[in-house]
Amino acid sequence: MNTDKRKVLNGYHVVFLAQNLIIGTGLLSLPQKISAVGYSQWMLPIVFGIMATITLWPMIWINSKYPQENLFSINEKVLGKWMGKIVNSLFIVYFVFILASLIDNYMLLMQTTALAEHSITLPIVFFLLVLVYIVNGGIKSIARFCIMSFFLTILLLFFLRWSIEKGELSHIFPLFNFNWTELEGAMRKGFMSILGYELIMVYFPYIISQKKAFKHTVIGVWISITIYFITTLVSVMYYSEWQLKHIDYSVLNLLKAGNLSFVERIDVLGVTLWIFLVLSTTAGYLWASKKSLESLLSKSKHYHSYILVAAVFLVMMIPIEREYKEKLFENIFYVSFLMILWPLFLIVVHLIKKKQVR
Amino acid sequence: MKIGKLLRAKMGTSSYEKVQSEERANNQKALQTINQIKEHVKHMSDVVLKDIATVEGIVTIIHCSSLVENMTMQNMIFTPLANHLNQIHQDAEVIDSTDTEKIVSNIVVGHTLLYFHRKNLLLSMDTFSVSTRAISTSEVESTVMGPQDSFTESLQTNISLIKRRIQNPKLKNEDRIIGTETNTKMSILYMEHIVNQENLEKVKSRIDKLDYPGYPDISILKQLIEDNPLSPFPQFYMTVKPDTAMHYLLDGRIVILMDNSQEVVICPTSFFEMFVSIEDYYNRWTTTSLLRMLRFGGFFLTIMMTPMYISTLTFHPEILPYELLVNLQESRSKVPFSPLLEVLFIELIIEVLREAGSRMPAKVGQTIGIVGGIVIGTAAVEAGLVSNILVVLVAISALLSFLSPTFVMSNTSRFIRYIFILSAGLFGLFGQMLAFAWLISHLLIINSLDTPFMTPIIPRKASDLLNSLIRFPTSYLKEKMGISRAQKK
Repeated sequence: MNTDKRKVLNGYHVVFLAQNLIIGTGLLSLPQKISAVGYSQWMLPIVFGIMATITLWPMIWINSKYPQENLFSINEKVLGKWMGKIVNSLFIVYFVFILASLIDNYMLLMQTTALAEHSITLPIVFFLLVLVYIVNGGIKSIARFCIMSFFLTILLLFFLRWSIEKGELSHIFPLFNFNWTELEGAMRKGFMSILGYELIMVYFPYIISQKKAFKHTVIGVWISITIYFITTLVSVMYYSEWQLKHIDYSVLNLLKAGNLSFVERIDVLGVTLWIFLVLSTTAGYLWASKKSLESLLSKSKHYHSYILVAAVFLVMMIPIEREYKEKLFENIFYVSFLMILWPLFLIVVHLIKKKQVR
Repeated sequence: MKIGKLLRAKMGTSSYEKVQSEERANNQKALQTINQIKEHVKHMSDVVLKDIATVEGIVTIIHCSSLVENMTMQNMIFTPLANHLNQIHQDAEVIDSTDTEKIVSNIVVGHTLLYFHRKNLLLSMDTFSVSTRAISTSEVESTVMGPQDSFTESLQTNISLIKRRIQNPKLKNEDRIIGTETNTKMSILYMEHIVNQENLEKVKSRIDKLDYPGYPDISILKQLIEDNPLSPFPQFYMTVKPDTAMHYLLDGRIVILMDNSQEVVICPTSFFEMFVSIEDYYNRWTTTSLLRMLRFGGFFLTIMMTPMYISTLTFHPEILPYELLVNLQESRSKVPFSPLLEVLFIELIIEVLREAGSRMPAKVGQTIGIVGGIVIGTAAVEAGLVSNILVVLVAISALLSFLSPTFVMSNTSRFIRYIFILSAGLFGLFGQMLAFAWLISHLLIINSLDTPFMTPIIPRKASDLLNSLIRFPTSYLKEKMGISRAQKK
């Protein structure tokens, strides 16, 4: 038992938080998103991993300067109270939109595979209720949920067996068969699917051994990267370049490459089991937005998460055209790059301030 | 003994007149006291007042006849009164004859009061003796191997059943009186040098805070002191087997016993331990591992099986291979209801059978097998109310729900199954997985004595894995379980 009630996350909690906040629906369409580079896409996850590790460093650095504060209170401290509050409210908007886009993305997939010809409004409501239930248990219950969902969904890797058998390993050659613009496009679209680790800035003050936080997070990130690597590699082996580009959610099709005597379409099972991954990712974001709202109103209440969830629901239900919506949600992901770079900005301000004090 | 004799000798020497006047004065006082007591026990017909002449003058004996057996009265009161009065003076406790509150409370717990008129002396002897059940084998928690004795409804017998197994001065039992109306005795047992003191304090403070009139059974006490009263899951283990209690005591758990209740409560316990029977340690490790996997998997199967039937048939028939689907649809071809209604119908029938079976007098109980098995099972299928395959599924899941050694857990799985059935009926596999996610997150959130309920899965200790789904050979199981947070040596 810890004397400090806030410190609740052990090492393995941090590992699995980082690992599971990354994997959401992004993985399902990853091979398609980075298909611009063709068969060389199997290398990209490793590049993403390296990029994530590099960008992780400033996050941990700025947090270790304020070991008791999360991102939002750091904002207030570094940028001043009013500026910080404004930035924090922007963060809330960002979180609400990213939550809406994550859930919308998954629910659409659900509608196309498992709930064909059904309205998804009610499922969304129930999804959000379960989400709030997890989030109200606190960051530790989210971390535990991440651990469970990792062990429940890792079994899906087994179903890649048949695609490996039927695939052709020589597809990975020739190496570096792409030009710069193709790589840039693939990077831009693909990097979104490894977002999630930036939330460390919010749960950092809850970590017990903060000195090892970097190591643990990196382990978590690289577990996810390994999973990404395996899936992209198997996709490269199994599909042709044309298929990679044109099959939506190609990972699902990988799952049903084999024939089992008692189940015909494993992908339905896979998609529904995926709810664990989506729940853990969205739980992380909802928790972060709750923290942000708390810092804005400077009090903590359970009904905050209901308010946020209602906002998410409203955003998802905006009666605008599908295309606009998709554009909106896509652009929200570009904002995430800003969030990745945000700690750099904070560091600069922090250092300037420090100099002035001297 | 000598003092008693001396006392009486002294009294004998006092002069006759003095004695006379004293006796008169004493008589006045005595009558007053007796009348006071009589007033208090007016409407308690089982309280008996008897005047008996002894060498020390008249003695009034007051006792509650329903709490004291005649043999005990004879042995402890009447014989000594007639023969060795000093024995009574030695054994009995002197109480204040003006404190009527205490007098009455002594009577209702089965003490016998002796009022010596001449000396205006009130003595109280513990003569509580009620008939108890003999120790017998357990019917709720039967095992094939191992000791067969089980707890009874007497607190003293139960403590003796545990203490004869652990003959160690470090086994402590702290008594409490609970129940504002009933004054029920209970006892908290623990091994002083193993138990986690923090846990012990928590249990004690939770019990001390209780304000509840009475406890017909310890399960009520358990529900009142559990961490999460809203949860459908039991968070403390209950058993009637002294060997189970002993096993957990040695692991550093706290055992709570209560008078008038056969079961004892063990805390803290993890979710996984709800599927562990003490017999697991008597069997070979290979058999045990197999059985544990069966029980643990059985819990998830029993809540998933019939919902799966609903969601595949209503939402995703494409999930099944063609042959299986044809088979299923053929058996369902005569059924006019939707799968959800069909499942709810047959599940409720099973529920009714189960409930009727447990309420029915044992002699009539045999009929339930025939009625349930043949008439409802076969006839319902033939009448086209349910499909064959569903009957098979429901029967299996009903059996699976009884795999857990804890009866409360099997009841829980019955309840949880309905949540899954409804969610499968609403959204198919998606609903089922959503319900599953809720179940998992609920299990992860709840605590048992502030320790996570899912302990071996959310590891506190790597050595727990040696005694989880796979139970390693006994010589490997040296470490205490993580959930007990036992004191380190």
